[in-house]
Amino acid sequence: MSTDEQSEGGEGDQVLVAEFALGLLDNAEHAAVGRRIADHPLLRREYRLWRLRLSALDREFAETPAPAGVLARIEARLFPGATNTSSGSLWQSLAFWRAVAAAFLVVAAVSIGFNLAPRPPLTGPELVAALEAEGSNVKFVAFYDQQNGTLRLAALSGAAVPGKDYELWSIHGKDAPISMGVVPVNAKTNVTMSPTVKQSFGAGTVLAVTLEQTGGSPTGAPQGPVVAMGTATAI
Amino acid sequence: MSQSTADIADLIGRTALKDRGAFRDLYQRTSAKLFGVTLRILKDRSEAEEALQEVYVKIWQRADRYAAGGYSPISWLVAIARNHALDVLRARKPLADDLDGALEVADIAPDPEQAAIGQGERGRIDACLAELEGDKAEAVRAAYLDGFSYEELASRFSVPLNTMRTWLRRSLIKLRECLSA
Repeated sequence: MSTDEQSEGGEGDQVLVAEFALGLLDNAEHAAVGRRIADHPLLRREYRLWRLRLSALDREFAETPAPAGVLARIEARLFPGATNTSSGSLWQSLAFWRAVAAAFLVVAAVSIGFNLAPRPPLTGPELVAALEAEGSNVKFVAFYDQQNGTLRLAALSGAAVPGKDYELWSIHGKDAPISMGVVPVNAKTNVTMSPTVKQSFGAGTVLAVTLEQTGGSPTGAPQGPVVAMGTATAI
Repeated sequence: MSQSTADIADLIGRTALKDRGAFRDLYQRTSAKLFGVTLRILKDRSEAEEALQEVYVKIWQRADRYAAGGYSPISWLVAIARNHALDVLRARKPLADDLDGALEVADIAPDPEQAAIGQGERGRIDACLAELEGDKAEAVRAAYLDGFSYEELASRFSVPLNTMRTWLRRSLIKLRECLSA
């Protein structure tokens, strides 16, 4: 049946992965097998296949109306003080923003060769966005200077993934995301803004980074998972 | 059917963009199914309700990991609910180790080739389960749907624990052969 009946992915492992997927293993074994699955591509593949195979049984779970009040409790937990629309830890730190703004000014001044002193800080219409996502360690900040139409992007954390590229997207309202190209994770970049992006870019525009195949999504629409995302906000 | 599948995928996608209205719609559309999952596995209304809350918190936090074209969106949601309920069952027992590492794996989407294989297999699982002897197919079903442990299955089917282990492992091998044939 399979060509992979050696060390990882042999019949014993296939059964173990099936037992893991069914939830039959005791605590210690479950944790150990989970770690092996996470480490071995063949086992991961087997696990995904078992999940697909077994998911055919999902229809047998009978629908049962959830008790009233659950949604309200979930929302109270997720959105405490529900009037606050921004979320994410980076947003909460004013000190962080001041540091970011200062850092960008320094970068701008140094790279263009300006003298920093005569320029008053942050006077023009400028937008920033903190790009992050729950469960992802990839974080970017973006800084947009509307006056000269440049978007600078700095990676704060995250690692390059072999065989993959990070791709930046601009999402305006309900429009389809527009690719702004592949972006590096270990560097600061000036992102070229196409006229289409530039036209719609403003406060409220969402910037998102997805993990795509090398060179970026071939279809022009994001295909991979969103690893970081944030809304442009005027400062 | 495929229209509603597309709708749910769309709601998950918008939830990933932190759209609270979409999240609310997603809850309205899917909570009965997911409560059915937590209730069936936990067999206790208040625990199932508690679990349902946790499940939607996870869905809000992880919606960005759903990759369209992989699992059916409802299966992806059911897997989160089922895995969470199983974690609750495990936490009742001592020795709860680092279980979350395992859960992260559940979020990885299949590649398109696997998804295509999976589509075919989804249709075949009934036929393949039917090839197993009656009790054995029932044991696989009960393990998946009720989250029963080997001990619980053994007592339910009135066979010794080791017999149940042997049964199920053989059944899983047969099932895999049948599904991959």
